[in-house]
Amino acid sequence: MSDPGATLPRHVYVHVPLCRSKCSYCDFFSLTPDRLPVTPEGLVDALVNQARAWAERGVAPAGIDTLYVGGGTPTMLGDGLATLVSALAIWAGAEPDAEITIEANPESVTPELLELLAMAGVTRVSLGVQSLDDAELAMLGRAHVASRAIAAATWVTEAGLDLSVDLMCGLPGQSAADWRRTLDRAVTTDADHMSVYPLSLEAGTPLAAVVAVGDAAEPDPDVVADMLLEAAAVLKTTGLLRYETANYARPGHESRHNTAYWTGAPYLGVGPGAHGMLSAATAREAGFIVADGIGRVRYAIACSAETGLGIMPEVTVELLDRGESAREDAMLGLRLTRGIDDGLATRAAVTGVLEGLAADGLVVHADGRWATTERGWLLGNEVFSRVWAGE
Amino acid sequence: MTDPTLIRNFSIIAHIDHGKSTLADRVLQLTHTVADRDMQEQMLDSMDIERERGITIKAQAVRVMYDANDGKTYQLNLIDTPGHVDFTYEVSRSLAACEGVILVVDAAQGVEAQTVANALMAMNAGLEIIPLINKIDLPAADPERVRHEIEEGLAIAADEAVLASGKTGEGVRDALEAVVRLVPHPVGDPHAPLKALIFDSYFDTYRGVVALIRVVDGSIAKGMKVRLMATSTVTDVEEVGVRRPANLPVESLGVGEVGYLITGLKDPALVKVGDTVTLARHGATEQLPGYREAKPMVFTGLFPIDGDQYPDLRDALERLQLNDPALLWEPESSHALGFGFRVGFLGLLHMEVVKERLEREFGLELLATAPSVEYHAFRTKGDMVVVHSPQDMPDPGHLDRTEEPYLKVTVLVPPDYVGAVMELSDQRRGTFKDMQYLSATTVELHYEMPLSELIMDFFDQLKSRTKGYASLDYEYIGYRESNLVKLDILLAGKAVDALSFVVHRDKAYARGKVLTEKLREIIPRQMFEVPIQAAIGAKIISRETVRAMRKDVIAKCYGGDISRKRKLLEKQKAGKKRMKSVGSVEIPQEAFMAILKVDE
Repeated sequence: MSDPGATLPRHVYVHVPLCRSKCSYCDFFSLTPDRLPVTPEGLVDALVNQARAWAERGVAPAGIDTLYVGGGTPTMLGDGLATLVSALAIWAGAEPDAEITIEANPESVTPELLELLAMAGVTRVSLGVQSLDDAELAMLGRAHVASRAIAAATWVTEAGLDLSVDLMCGLPGQSAADWRRTLDRAVTTDADHMSVYPLSLEAGTPLAAVVAVGDAAEPDPDVVADMLLEAAAVLKTTGLLRYETANYARPGHESRHNTAYWTGAPYLGVGPGAHGMLSAATAREAGFIVADGIGRVRYAIACSAETGLGIMPEVTVELLDRGESAREDAMLGLRLTRGIDDGLATRAAVTGVLEGLAADGLVVHADGRWATTERGWLLGNEVFSRVWAGE
Repeated sequence: MTDPTLIRNFSIIAHIDHGKSTLADRVLQLTHTVADRDMQEQMLDSMDIERERGITIKAQAVRVMYDANDGKTYQLNLIDTPGHVDFTYEVSRSLAACEGVILVVDAAQGVEAQTVANALMAMNAGLEIIPLINKIDLPAADPERVRHEIEEGLAIAADEAVLASGKTGEGVRDALEAVVRLVPHPVGDPHAPLKALIFDSYFDTYRGVVALIRVVDGSIAKGMKVRLMATSTVTDVEEVGVRRPANLPVESLGVGEVGYLITGLKDPALVKVGDTVTLARHGATEQLPGYREAKPMVFTGLFPIDGDQYPDLRDALERLQLNDPALLWEPESSHALGFGFRVGFLGLLHMEVVKERLEREFGLELLATAPSVEYHAFRTKGDMVVVHSPQDMPDPGHLDRTEEPYLKVTVLVPPDYVGAVMELSDQRRGTFKDMQYLSATTVELHYEMPLSELIMDFFDQLKSRTKGYASLDYEYIGYRESNLVKLDILLAGKAVDALSFVVHRDKAYARGKVLTEKLREIIPRQMFEVPIQAAIGAKIISRETVRAMRKDVIAKCYGGDISRKRKLLEKQKAGKKRMKSVGSVEIPQEAFMAILKVDE
């Protein structure tokens, strides 16, 4: 039935829109359990049904390489998370070496749950540690303390799962020494993968409001720049190498799922607030109206338990023509340490832009590839926006 | 033609906001010139900007028929004059078409600077002045005090001042009775060759230039051949008529009558305010007195933000000029801003109004450079260069001496604020001339001051330092010797021509320092360090640095973030597009006006 030109997604993202409470900096879609119109069990069923419905629309993955369950706080589903993962893995035909990641918050994992998840097929846990300073965690509205985060990290590795630790720098009031302490403690977890983000104040979040009225200091961008450099240096000494703007891993432990995002691979999104990306041909199979000349279709499922949870959820669609698709790939590819090859630069018609960026010392050209420099990491928006604009 | 003894030509004059236009509205209603259902506020102000800002820019003339208490019906010609000092010449021509004025004074605000200026102009024109104390319905109204101020400050008998409220209509009939009784009827020779004064003009897309005229001698009728004396233009009379306020054609206009004249001429430059219309053959030999060419006082560079809009800007300026012959412009190019125009205005208000109309009515996005005045620079070899733009200034090595235009500035202020006014005027190189008490609550101060200082935010400063009490008027008094230098601003080592300005040498250091500091705040951090320098010739007098931006990155970008972050980048990029990039430096628009906000 399927169009031979269609590249079926081999990556699936499932969004579990459930949180115990909202963190002060977060603008992702989530609800507290009492605001969710279904039980946690009902939510698992609904997500699995929505995933299955894609198959009836012609986009059943012919085997998947990665599955990522994010949120929200997927671990709030408890044992239900194991049910969700195994149901999806079976439905999608997960390859034997598939990477199956769940996002978890330290306060909601236990050794027992991790054991169960490992049995259900989970291979990797991305742990939302953010900080290892209790005062900072409180300001961020996180529900855990530092000691619990360290314990949770240990449980993950003891369960035989790959551990990834998320950290944030540039927090209001955070000093260089504070950041160094968090980094040093994070290194003791022996995680094979770490993500480091400067805090970004998103409009509409409580933390942005507090900063806006001047009750918390907006971090000095120069100090944050130093923090990012410090992170790269410290992580490097422990064998964690930067492979993307904000991600570090021991070789072989890079996130395959996230790498799919940065290399233009199609992926299916399931659940309220989830996003997906389909090739134009696949999108046509699925019933989207896609004109000629379109390269890919991005869709976002409604951020609403009512309209985003059914088998035919409400979606917002964005069509990118072939040129835009190529420029998007170039822009995302430059987030990776390995950069992009000359072929993509030519397809995206950004060679001239890259030469300009090279003159500014933001990218470098070697062995047929364009890659971002140390200076380019910090001034990434200049690189990304010029490549995306194609001028 | 009407018997001149039944004609009264008058104008309403006032300080801004004293209620002139509302009073005119009431006159139209009382005389049934405009049906109540057609009435809108500020009927005689036809431009949106006039209505919104409550100012009159173009003169207007309207004929109303008034049944007076003596049983006779009078033809009253109300000539509405521009209400701002920028348009002093236009006001003087409007007044020359009248025999009397109603001097409107706000019952709460009392006499203000333009009340004095307008009253003096009316006196000099030999007009009958009828004082009218307006807004007597206001709770803060104090007609007795204001009556006293009029008598003391203006030496005008005010015991019979009309008490009125434009808002309620009270006293409006009394005002018209006073006009009939006190304003002399026009006197002229119906048998002499035609002499008619052009006191304003506007452009009609279908009819060409429409002149507003007042017949002094003789008469003018459709089909006549006439000559416009100042421009020696001979043309046919296509139509004459009166404004009620819509145009109503009539057979002819006779001695003392006010109306409009259509000749079919399409070039507004030929129909000048203040010119005299006479017969083409056997016409008058002498023009009516008082004619002069409109002369721009303030100059600024106007540049389209989007270079593609240059032809549109040119087109828009041409179209505005049709109704505003005082607007002068010539092409100018700047390394920093590309192609644009150097535009001359009668004053700051005129400039603001024109810029606003260009943006609003023509959809242009414009960047204006700091306003400047016309300097005279004498070179060592003896010739004079007229400096309209800082770029015209000769190199310091070739410069012998300089002159700049001066004003006589009049400030009216309560006695408590005299110190504040003195301090400000000192800072602005003002020379104190004299001071007099108009009343216990109002002091009149006179200064001589360079025009260039006045256009630097002087009025706003005056208002804020006197809690809004001060009022201002000024008149041009000529050129004075001065010690001027051109100050250049260099960004990343390159002079940015659009940021240069001419300044008095004594103030150059202070202003250069404040301006570089200001620019450091305005110019965002860029990928490279940006030195900001102020220089006179090759000599650097101050320096600041915008440090290089070290971090600007959206670190988190996963599946759900891609569309959103892309849009964020687009927005960021669009923000940069609104800046002007000069070399490698992105400069926000406000930088070009920063010099105006420099308060040392």
